[in-house]
Order: sequence, then structure tokens, then C-alpha cells
Amino acid sequence: MNGRKSFGGGGSSSSGGGGGRGGRAGQNAQTGKDGQQRRPMFRRRKVCKFCADKIDDINYKDTRLLMPFVPERAKILPRRISGTCALHQRKLRVAILRARQLALIPYTAE
Amino acid sequence: MNRKYELVYVVSPDATDDQVTDLHTQVEAIVQRLGGQIEKTENWGRRRLAYEIGRHKEGTYVLELINGSGELMKEIDRRLKVSDLVIRQLVVRIDEVQEVIERTRSKRSEGSRRRRIARGLPPDRAPGEGQRGDSDDDRDDRFDLSEDMR
Repeated sequence: MNGRKSFGGGGSSSSGGGGGRGGRAGQNAQTGKDGQQRRPMFRRRKVCKFCADKIDDINYKDTRLLMPFVPERAKILPRRISGTCALHQRKLRVAILRARQLALIPYTAE
Repeated sequence: MNRKYELVYVVSPDATDDQVTDLHTQVEAIVQRLGGQIEKTENWGRRRLAYEIGRHKEGTYVLELINGSGELMKEIDRRLKVSDLVIRQLVVRIDEVQEVIERTRSKRSEGSRRRRIARGLPPDRAPGEGQRGDSDDDRDDRFDLSEDMR
């Protein structure tokens, strides 16, 4: 639940931003200038955790590292939410699959 | 062909400590017979499994770093599969991955040294210089594995 929150932070804030945009779009329609101020939506730019922290080795034994990427239902967190880069997401996937095999990480939550 | 492998196996919680060490000596015997060597052995002790295997909820994890051929690992894998005490095992080849990690690491440090010299700084960072402060992510409370299991 918590992990979802920490990563879904971007998602929830973006939906809030979307609401804000809707409101402002209405204002803009009233004032008449629509084109320029279309998107005052702030979405936190996501950064790949592994690039930022310079983690070279995504190891299947390191459950502390992997757990935030398998929230709640124990599904692998998609790149579009976590912001992980393609290279690291691939490595992360392999690590998670291996950790699951050894019962270090669940396949699913009951 | 000498390669590096990592072997992790999970021993059933019913097994006594003697049986676990016995298993280790069995593995050792195979490794020696087929001309390899064990570099390191780590016993992680009893851990909670993330899901039930059979009816077990716990298991003893043992990690072995082995130098040897693929044939050797195949034989060990086969033997562990046959053993009733071992409930899960995993063999991973690690030499190539380690090389890649080593390369990226040296590349990065070299790059930073070059850039620092170009900026007229000493090539190595002074301790604490330019370090990132702790971010919120470091205190993520979802790390506790055992609580997540249920």
C-alpha cells in the first residue's frame, strides 16, 4: 500500500493536475485566450532510481532493493510509473523473476 | 572452460543442521570430483518463504559460489532436484555479468576523473564532497519482507 503510494505519487499528482487543468481550461475559455496557457500542469519528472543512485548490480538476492518495485499485488511496477529506464527495467525484471523462484518475493498476494 | 556460478538452494525447514551441512558436503564432493572449486559458502539461515512451497512456510537458504564447468553445475542441479530435502534451487552464471558491472564501474569513475581534471580539480573526490543527501526514498518502510508475506 505504502509502496504504491510512494511511486504512485507521480500518478496521483498528475490526476490532480489534470483536474486543475480542467478548471483552468474553463477559465481560459472565459477569458478567451485558449492556446497558450493550455497546460500549466506540473508532473514531477521521473528519474530512473538505478541511474540516479548509480546501482550497477541489480541482484536477485537484494530484496530490499526489489520490494519497492513489486507493490501490493506483487506485480512488477511498470516503467511508466516508476520511471526506471529501459535498460534497468530489463535487469530489474530478471532479478525479480529469479527472486520469485527462490520465494524471496511473492508471485502474487493472496 | 572455467566459469563462475552462483548456486542458491532452499532446504526444507524439517531438516536438521546436520542434514544441511551434509548437503553442503555432498555438493562439495561433486564439485571436487568434476574439477571445480567452491569459492564461498554462505548460510543465510532460516527465512520465511514469500509463498508456501508444498506445505512449508520457512526454509534454510544456502548460497555457494562455484568455479567450474557447465557440466558440473548440471550435475549439481540434477542431484539437488532428486533430493527430497531441497525444496528450491537456482543456478545462475555470474562471471559475464560481473565483468559488465566492473566495466561500467571503471568507465564511470574514469569519466568522472577525466572531467574533474578538465575542471582543474584533484582526480579523486574528497570524502563527503558533492554527495547527495538522504532522500525520502531511502526511508521507504516497505522494505520489511516478513510483514509483506501474509
